[in-house]
Amino acid sequence: MRDLSAPANPLEMLAYVLSKQIHDHKIVYIGTGIPMVAAILAKKTHAPNITMVYESGGQDPLPSDMPWSVGCPFTWRKTPVVMEMAYSFAQCCNGFVDIAFLGFAQVDMYGNVNTHQIGTDLLHPTVRMTGSGGNNDLASLTEELVLVGVQTPDKFVKNVDFITSVGHLTGGNSRREAGLVGKGPIAVISQCGEFDFEPETKRMRVKSLLPEWTFDITQQFTGFELLKPEGEIPQTPVIPDEILNLLRTEVDPRGVFTTMPTA
Amino acid sequence: MSTFSYNEKALEHLRIEDPSLLDSLVDFETAREAHLKKEHAKIDKRMSLTDAIATYVSDGDVMTDAGFAYVRTPHQAYWEIMRQAKKNLQCIAAPNTNHSFLIFNNNCDYSHNSYVGVEMRGIDRNYDRMLRAGRVKILSEWSHGGVALGLKAAQLGAPGVFSKQMLGSDMLKYNPYLKVMQNPMRDDPDPVVFIPALYPDVTIIHCHAADKYGNAYIYGPTVNDVATAAAARKLIITAEEIVPESSIRGRQGTIIPFFYVDAVVELPFGAVPGNMPGCYYWSRQWWEKLIRFGCVSDENLKVFFDEWVFGVKDQFEFVDKLGGAKWIAESRIQTKAAEGDHEDIDFSYEEFTRTHDSGLYY
Repeated sequence: MRDLSAPANPLEMLAYVLSKQIHDHKIVYIGTGIPMVAAILAKKTHAPNITMVYESGGQDPLPSDMPWSVGCPFTWRKTPVVMEMAYSFAQCCNGFVDIAFLGFAQVDMYGNVNTHQIGTDLLHPTVRMTGSGGNNDLASLTEELVLVGVQTPDKFVKNVDFITSVGHLTGGNSRREAGLVGKGPIAVISQCGEFDFEPETKRMRVKSLLPEWTFDITQQFTGFELLKPEGEIPQTPVIPDEILNLLRTEVDPRGVFTTMPTA
Repeated sequence: MSTFSYNEKALEHLRIEDPSLLDSLVDFETAREAHLKKEHAKIDKRMSLTDAIATYVSDGDVMTDAGFAYVRTPHQAYWEIMRQAKKNLQCIAAPNTNHSFLIFNNNCDYSHNSYVGVEMRGIDRNYDRMLRAGRVKILSEWSHGGVALGLKAAQLGAPGVFSKQMLGSDMLKYNPYLKVMQNPMRDDPDPVVFIPALYPDVTIIHCHAADKYGNAYIYGPTVNDVATAAAARKLIITAEEIVPESSIRGRQGTIIPFFYVDAVVELPFGAVPGNMPGCYYWSRQWWEKLIRFGCVSDENLKVFFDEWVFGVKDQFEFVDKLGGAKWIAESRIQTKAAEGDHEDIDFSYEEFTRTHDSGLYY
């Protein structure tokens, strides 16, 4: 059982901050992990009318337990249609999907994502990871992207070891010039708070920070130079007790995605 | 014989010395020829799994995965490939990681990658180790959507499709099949990726029901399977049950037509230990044991497969090891509850960890 009285851990805070990126009545493309938690939390709180779509083909499943895979029955529970994967991604390209969430192993200052490997040689990596899966498809095609992950200098890097999914590529207008569709990343969410991208250079910029995080400390958790917003940095809203309770009792009761890994 | 023009930079980056390895997957002429030479008469194609794998999976074939990860995936047929010690396969890992184990077992030497891992259960450390040890050679890197479009183009009878996926990414540097071009319909700059139609040599698809001719019914996500069935040179259907043709004719839903099919195998529990929609849930503990114990080292994986693949005669013995009739009943309730066709149940279970093995698989 989960300790309901414990203060919010970083993953729970992350899930809450991410959930606030989701606005009601939108079509939301969901991958595994924290994005699922955030979307289900949003649906149970401020955005009850969102529609969730999945790459396995499920479109608008009935709410249920936490999906363990994007192919799991919870992702197509009583959906009116289960469509083929090619069509499911095509919906992003054709403008039917509003927002998608992506995880990363590494991200750079332009929001380019690596989920392939640590090390730069594909044939002899230091560690091979998942590769693209649907990550690149969503990043290439969806109107708005939100990137989410734990922030360390090893993960927020100057250059990603492999560009799996293009964010703003080399900044400026380069994403569009490469032929990609949509706005690209609009936000990055980490345990430090929220980031956006400066409109001209498309470089990552602090938007708001969670309590106890300052710009300087956040910079120390970042492998590239962060941009600072003008004026005082706002505080990221923290998870209220009643929503934390809901998260622990109804959204992720077994803590599949929101308990901290033990050593 | 067709000749092909591959992305030279990608060949160089992948250090592919013999590009003819790549030909079969994009060779429309030989795929069409194979489809023409297939048995077009409506005949009884039933055979045993052993015979189907022996006859239709050849050393060196390009085999694509089916289902989705651990959903309706023909695991039991893959393990028969392991038992029959097939060699030199090229496997398309979209959307699965299952061929990682064929690499370990020396059945597969080449990999077309799009996703490796078991999602929240973790990354596939076996694949990582095989790659670093040089036991598998990557022939191309894809996104899921990219592979889906290549197979879909084949099903559509088109030489390929232009896509907006993968532009600007490093996958373009490691995929000899992809070419970035200017959209021929536009005057202003509009880069697109040409994805060629993909024709695997062989595909195995596990279905809910099939008739003896090969008309095969799928319930739940079909993912790429209908496109793959139309594209593949050889198609084996494994089915939970063989039903009369009249039963197939009465069904609504996804049907693969009989004339795509070379062999029909009655294989109840053909997708264990994965999830078969409507029939049985995935065995969460089994997958946790595979990832958290088996994939950790070559020694562990050998122990694991000796027990679960080579230590069992067939899928019935496998189900017995999972818990027999009790497993069947529990996993049926679980999948029906997950799909909304059973009263809600508590999905709590005892997770397998390195320090805790409940011995239960449901």
